[in-house]
Amino acid sequence: MAIELDGTTAEVLNRDPLVIKNLKNWHHIHSYGGWGQFFTALLDKKLMATRCTNPECEEKRLWLPPRCECPDCWHEMEWVEAPQVGTILTHSTVLYPGAPFRATIPCPLISVELEGVCTKLMSYLKEGKPEIGMPVKAVFNTEKPTNTILDLAWVPA
Amino acid sequence: MIKFGPGNLRIPRFEKPVYVVAGGLTDYRKRYPEKNSSQLCTEALRMAVEENDLKVSPEEFRRMVNWVVYSQFADHFGDQLLAASKIHDYIGFDPLGNIEVKTGGATGGSSVLAAAQAVASGYATCVPVVGWERMDEVPTKVGNAYIASAACKDFESELGWMYAAYYALMAQRYQHENKVPRETLAKIACKNYEHACYSPYSQNPGHYTVEQVLENDMVADPLSFLECCVMSVGAAVLILADEETAYRMTDNPMKLTAICGGTHTLRTADRRNMPILLLPNETEDTYKDYFTEERSEWPGFSSFLAARMAAYLAYNMAGVADPIEDFDLLETHDAFTISDVQTYEDIGLRPYGRGREFIDSGDAYMDGRLPTNPSGGLIGTMHAVGATGIFQLVEVLWQMQNKWDHFHAEPERWARYGKTKPEDFRSLQVPNVKRACAISHAGTGSHVTCSIMEKP
Repeated sequence: MAIELDGTTAEVLNRDPLVIKNLKNWHHIHSYGGWGQFFTALLDKKLMATRCTNPECEEKRLWLPPRCECPDCWHEMEWVEAPQVGTILTHSTVLYPGAPFRATIPCPLISVELEGVCTKLMSYLKEGKPEIGMPVKAVFNTEKPTNTILDLAWVPA
Repeated sequence: MIKFGPGNLRIPRFEKPVYVVAGGLTDYRKRYPEKNSSQLCTEALRMAVEENDLKVSPEEFRRMVNWVVYSQFADHFGDQLLAASKIHDYIGFDPLGNIEVKTGGATGGSSVLAAAQAVASGYATCVPVVGWERMDEVPTKVGNAYIASAACKDFESELGWMYAAYYALMAQRYQHENKVPRETLAKIACKNYEHACYSPYSQNPGHYTVEQVLENDMVADPLSFLECCVMSVGAAVLILADEETAYRMTDNPMKLTAICGGTHTLRTADRRNMPILLLPNETEDTYKDYFTEERSEWPGFSSFLAARMAAYLAYNMAGVADPIEDFDLLETHDAFTISDVQTYEDIGLRPYGRGREFIDSGDAYMDGRLPTNPSGGLIGTMHAVGATGIFQLVEVLWQMQNKWDHFHAEPERWARYGKTKPEDFRSLQVPNVKRACAISHAGTGSHVTCSIMEKP
């Protein structure tokens, strides 16, 4: 029996030098693993961070984004609710995002300082004009969740 | 707080001296449909072997190679896993051993580091480092998304899919703390665009005024389009060897006295406050007035610990006491104007908070104390990521061998790439370079290498 091709073609974009268009269309299965609880908690309007439970660990800082193991002693961490009010450490407004971006532009990115948290979480300002030092509070996209970091945003407090 | 133990800050050592013998480039283009990646790598290798006045024939060279290092940032740009294996075959190096290195934007620097380690340990005596990137298979917006896949995909990439924005967050904070006039930043771009005008290899040359850069559209504030590097297709090759092999190949090899790497968290967000790691030209006193209410943390969002770490190790390894005094030439990874200013501080050209003075004083210019990026850098000439760190060292090598004119001024070189040598051409050969430095850097300072090349 003769082998048949499936009938699809690759578009020729240029003949000399020869350039063709390869189509790609598939999904990636993205596993959050131990970080999944962070994203699930966003649906309940909770901002969850992690802290080391090792009594011997000197650092015991509160991490957000969360970590499953303490980077200072490799001990397991416990989930702790983080404050939902903070201040803007820095900001930049995205005007030309990369192709898969799912929000409208211009979109102000912000890095948020939260009391007791040792990191400066990257997120976005849903309303208002960002300024360094500006107080902000967390808002959660629970209606049609993306189940990504985009479900967390901030508005002026 | 990051606490260093006695092993963490050990100064690296080469058991055998490492030499740089020859280098080769392609030209760099936004799109390069005429040549596939194997052709581009072969072209750069052939230039290294056939156009550097080597004392050995190409045939003899092929019989001397015993290890090869490949440098490509992103498999998904080229849409070919194990591309190095294919290029190794097309170049004709099978069945010699090879390794492919990946450390983001610093892949070129890290690949040279891996090759140097092979030579320094005695594992190999003649090692070509072959780097390339092919960034023209996807539209620019998809290209930006591919690059942003090198940010944290769980907690950051979705926020813009745009690395320039992640640098811009640092830039905005740096500006808040240090208030660099935008004119100073624009001058960096103008300088490197102008240098690119005199390079037949350059993709994006231009004579721009400060006003033109300032009036350009924003990509992500405070970075305008003209303050951001290009996306390129092209290749670069550097050949390393031990002393005996180096002098068999050329009478004029340069010595790689140090090449060291540092890292920091992929997410800028996760960079914890720590004491400043001091370079040989700094003391505690340097920073007695540095910290204020506004500027309360280091490295924070204003500094690259990875660059400071790489410079700390390399300066101590090569015995550099003061980079401005001890270097005659510098190539930085000018992916963005402001990250260049941040780097000036990280590598000790000025103390933290005062990086702008390196530009404003004129030090960074061709007639200044430390000419910086005569290659045209990433803003003016190229950022074919896997080739970039190698390209920098090829340009440094030619400068040190006094061959800059040979590789840039001859009209045939311009004709080779379908270009005409500009009428206002000027030589950017830096006279009598005895010691030079190159910084290779990955976004947002997650990997950095610092290389120091010297006249033996």
